[in-house]
Amino acid sequence: MVIFLCEDSVDGIFTGIYDAWASRLGHDCIALRIHAPMDLELFAEYRQVSADAQKAEKVARSIREKMGLDAYQTIYQAALSKSPDRADHIYRVTLLGMSRHTPSEEARKVIWKLQDPHVSRIFELSRRTGNEAHRYLQFVRFRELKNGVLFSEIHAENQILPLIGDHFSDRFPNENFMIYDNTHNDCLIHGGSRPWFILRDTRPDALQKEDISLLEQQMQELWRGFCSSIAIEQRKNPHLQQQFWPLKFRPWMTEGQ
Amino acid sequence: MQIAKEMDLYTKLNILTDAAKYDVACTSSGVDRKGSGKGMGNCTAAGICHSFSADGRCIALLKILFTNECIFDCKYCMNRSSNDVPRTSFTPDEVCTLTMEFYRRNYIEGLFLSSGILKNPGYTMELLYQTLYKLRHEHHFEGYIHVKAIPGAPQELITRTGFLADRMSVNLELPTADSLRKLAPHKTRKKILAPMRQVQLQTQENKHELMLFRNAPQFVPAGQSTQMIIGATPENDYQILSVAESLYQKFDLKRVFYSAFVPVNEDAMLPALPGGPPLLREHRLYQADWLLRFYGFQTQELLSEKRPNFNVFLDPKCDWALSHLEHFPVEINRADYYTLLRVPGIGPKSARRILYARKSGSLDFPDLKKAGVVLKRAVYFITCSGRQMYPLRIEEDTILRNLLQSRGPAPSETLTYRQLSLFDDDQIFGSIPDKLLQAGA
Repeated sequence: MVIFLCEDSVDGIFTGIYDAWASRLGHDCIALRIHAPMDLELFAEYRQVSADAQKAEKVARSIREKMGLDAYQTIYQAALSKSPDRADHIYRVTLLGMSRHTPSEEARKVIWKLQDPHVSRIFELSRRTGNEAHRYLQFVRFRELKNGVLFSEIHAENQILPLIGDHFSDRFPNENFMIYDNTHNDCLIHGGSRPWFILRDTRPDALQKEDISLLEQQMQELWRGFCSSIAIEQRKNPHLQQQFWPLKFRPWMTEGQ
Repeated sequence: MQIAKEMDLYTKLNILTDAAKYDVACTSSGVDRKGSGKGMGNCTAAGICHSFSADGRCIALLKILFTNECIFDCKYCMNRSSNDVPRTSFTPDEVCTLTMEFYRRNYIEGLFLSSGILKNPGYTMELLYQTLYKLRHEHHFEGYIHVKAIPGAPQELITRTGFLADRMSVNLELPTADSLRKLAPHKTRKKILAPMRQVQLQTQENKHELMLFRNAPQFVPAGQSTQMIIGATPENDYQILSVAESLYQKFDLKRVFYSAFVPVNEDAMLPALPGGPPLLREHRLYQADWLLRFYGFQTQELLSEKRPNFNVFLDPKCDWALSHLEHFPVEINRADYYTLLRVPGIGPKSARRILYARKSGSLDFPDLKKAGVVLKRAVYFITCSGRQMYPLRIEEDTILRNLLQSRGPAPSETLTYRQLSLFDDDQIFGSIPDKLLQAGA
């Protein structure tokens, strides 16, 4: 058994797939893991894979071409998930879709084959990441700093920033904004009308991010007032509220603090 | 004596939010629009809820009244002219500032602008139009706008407003013309339906224009909606659902909203409702409404003159399935989309996943779970490759009892047959529905 250790990123996983495939060891003798495990397996050889953007792009392209855009979207979202077993499952799914024994029309249906344990796991992971990304379209709250930048801090389980960048830059094309994911220390940055990008391993200045304008304070008060007066007392239902708006999001939101 | 002072924005917002909160429509769905890159905002078809208030309802839009200085005296309304409540009005500029600043911070998806009747309907509609015009053309707002068409306002004004808004709505208020006459003396059914018809015709006309000229301005692209108050008047569920169905068919409405009556005024004409607002009834109506719009059901299938109200214990779909056991069990690996949709526990999404997945091999019960089927309800009504999950009897009495008992996970085989009980069942469930009694339980 040869175990490929990938870096914890989409590029890392895709590079791992590329190297595993190119190693010609036979797919049954290969496993993909993210990071080295604490307890090493017997009779296994570990190979470290360093992420390579070119190799990753090649894998991404062939997934898109052979398995279709739906499949790529699902696999990409699964690769952004936090689950440590995702690399191997993605590898197995790409085997199903891109093996030369699979006719091309079958390859496009692979992603719907929920009977397969790997596909159903990928499907589940992808759905979880996608759902969390949607939650953050709802629950990202910006505050205006004194320098005019809109700043938001979130605490995401999965790496969802790449999934919400398009939405927010389309929505606020002329604003300078920044969304900081404090779990992964990533920043999504959009400046003026330029395209958005993600800065890895960056921490915004702790003082600067609390430095808000006077108008901002007023707006926050208005918003909190609005949220409390919109509720109907006779219909009060905290359980229902919590179902839609889980507690873990609230510390990072204006009306939840 | 209190003398009215100039109010600050915070107080105004509180008063006019408080006055608007009984309006239920707060969806931001129905239109997909990318930002133009020049202004601010976009819309997504599914809609986005941004927060949830203490009553569990979503906050998607900045839901406010333009004014609560209303000349009408509708019995059920907090802002009726005979009530002594603080009155105030926004200016168009204030509404614009609030909308833009809230939107920028991702608090809201857009604006929901309703209003009391200030002076007369035409004057009020004019104010709403001005607000929307400023928002769209001076502030270049491209987010979602839902605006009320005021019954009795000039057609011309409603048309011009419609070209600025995404969704328009006229509230039906009460399900029948009789109730309306009793509780809302200043409104008539005819006056309410007139703008509704106008919006419908205008939308159809606009569709033709858009076919010819792709860049023609769009008239209420997200369609129109309405709402009815449930439980203030004696109508039964069958009447209400029939009204909703005919609105969908005859007026092309996108949504009908149901609002459980919350007594805010003391009035001899209004019911007392000691048990709080009829929330369960409202819930059942929404469930049935979904069945009408997405599942291909019709009102007559769910309710009838003889059985005019929904079952309190079961949702409308389970209820229907139980009284139509001749359609079941459904074979998962063979049934078509619409047959699958009729199975309790299977919705449009899981039905579609089943269709896709079975192309590459037959499905079994664990696979269904992965596709999102709610097995604890579906298990009585389906077979996979000719097999049931447990040996269950397809019999109304058995299924009903198991459905009512299994609030938890899917039932085990022990529930197939009934344990003899020393106690009367009505001590467990409270009053027993007719169905249970007929079945001889």
